[in-house]
Amino acid sequence: MSSPITKATIAHLANLTRLQLTPAEEERLLHDLQKILKHFEELSALDTTSVPPMTGGTVARNVFRDDAGGESTNRGAGKEGFPETKDGYLKIPGVF
Amino acid sequence: MEPLSSLTIKGVRTGLLAKKFSALELAQAFFQNIKKADKNIGAYLSLDEEDAIKAAKATALMIANGEKLLPLSGVPLAIKDNMLVKGGPATAASKILKGYKSSYDATVITKLKAAGAVILGKTNLDEFAMGSSTENSAFQKTKNPHDPTRVPGGSSGGSAAAVAGGMAVAALGSDTGGSIRQPAALCGVVGLKTTYGSVSRNGIIALASSLDQVGPFAKTSEDAARMFDVIRGVDTMDSTSTAVDYGPDLLEPKPENIKNLVVGLPHEYFVDGLDPKVAGAVRDAIKVLESLGVHFKEISLPHTKYALSCYYIILPAEASSNLARFDGIRYARLPGVDGSLSDIYFKQKGLGFGAEPKRRMMLGAFVLSSGYYDAYYDKAQRVRTLIARDFEDAFRDVDVILTPTTPTPAFKLGEKASDPLAMYLSDIFTIPVNLAGLPAVSIPTAQKAGDLPIGFQLIGKHFREADILGLGRLYEGSTRD
Repeated sequence: MSSPITKATIAHLANLTRLQLTPAEEERLLHDLQKILKHFEELSALDTTSVPPMTGGTVARNVFRDDAGGESTNRGAGKEGFPETKDGYLKIPGVF
Repeated sequence: MEPLSSLTIKGVRTGLLAKKFSALELAQAFFQNIKKADKNIGAYLSLDEEDAIKAAKATALMIANGEKLLPLSGVPLAIKDNMLVKGGPATAASKILKGYKSSYDATVITKLKAAGAVILGKTNLDEFAMGSSTENSAFQKTKNPHDPTRVPGGSSGGSAAAVAGGMAVAALGSDTGGSIRQPAALCGVVGLKTTYGSVSRNGIIALASSLDQVGPFAKTSEDAARMFDVIRGVDTMDSTSTAVDYGPDLLEPKPENIKNLVVGLPHEYFVDGLDPKVAGAVRDAIKVLESLGVHFKEISLPHTKYALSCYYIILPAEASSNLARFDGIRYARLPGVDGSLSDIYFKQKGLGFGAEPKRRMMLGAFVLSSGYYDAYYDKAQRVRTLIARDFEDAFRDVDVILTPTTPTPAFKLGEKASDPLAMYLSDIFTIPVNLAGLPAVSIPTAQKAGDLPIGFQLIGKHFREADILGLGRLYEGSTRD
């Protein structure tokens, strides 16, 4: 079976993940991902049509907290670590 | 003072109360040892002497005032550098977070501080906890204190090496697929992966949110229980955390109850390819427990062989989503990264992430992408159910499951660095536990001086840390002085 990972896939995935890659990195990733995906083929031996997917780390049921207001412990925290600020605002490049 | 390398939490407590040493002297002794020993080991990425001395003085004051000691009063600890300690660095051993300062304390840190602990510093790891040797750190390679030509395991290799090397009494690590238990086994210390939901993940840099758990490294099972008892508990900042009453068994297990536990041995974990030394050491440990009256039973966990593939689909999928936030807009930005919003994203991530995070982000994006989601991600989630059911079925017949922690003892630095699949295989015995959300501990086997450490793993039912730590105590009680 030919691998679903091609040079074009690598470029597509790099765009999805917003990763700037060097040609050497692209080459390495092509090789590694093909090899790793080959290993995953063993899963197709299992019939899982009647098995429900496990979508989280726990079988515990959801619980809700009381709908009450409260003070966030870290409100405002993090802005001192923001790379750029101006006049008390957080500064980012134009989106459009 | 007894040697720092064998000092336990219990020993610190006894020493402080008997005034054999003060909390300040103890902290200073650890910093001295770190400055000497860590040149060759490289366990720590940063030290926080100022805050540690402050915390030690607070304990000294309590003792001077005749106040009752807190659960971890004056205990010098190491913290994996993917956890936030307010005001200090949290690099996750990645260039992308170099310069970032933590803006709050992780819940586990708040709890440790409130319990009187002295936080010495932050320890090395594989970048974003991705790896099994700590060689993927962007900053330094940590060496195994038992043999500096070998790896300490990973990803929490720095924390394991700090405890094994007498550079901390205990430590915190995180475990997503074995990152506490595997380095604990390779460094000869106790490492506890806690039940999913038992410890808050608030303030831990997320790798794979459905698998990550925080847990302790310690020298004994009793110390691991003390650490766990402090950090566990429900937290409004982590919606997956669960309120559970552990009762008195966690800290004071009753030997007669522990001896009545039935322990399962899954034949899928005792396979060809298991290093003969590991097989021998684990079988010896089983004999010791048998001689103490513990009953064993052969069991089967039939889907074990699919766990690795299942894990390496689910983990990268979650990681690719979690790591998207390190975009150069929030947190730190690397020098030379500028231009449009899109330029910043691409450059920051391209320059900031190392090879392993890039590999996993790409793989994660692939298994989630249109056309492949069903064949990979959905399939893996269904296989995860089968693996969880294997354990459910087994736990109808047994209380605890015993396996080797790792297929081999510590390997050489560089030995597996160029082959990601070979590296992934070093976690085959620990990964299924995370997929099922269960607790498990790695206990060092008794061995001759000079031999490389080997660990065995005890897997418990959900929220039954008391069973596995109790068995660990029973074993340690008969094999250690």
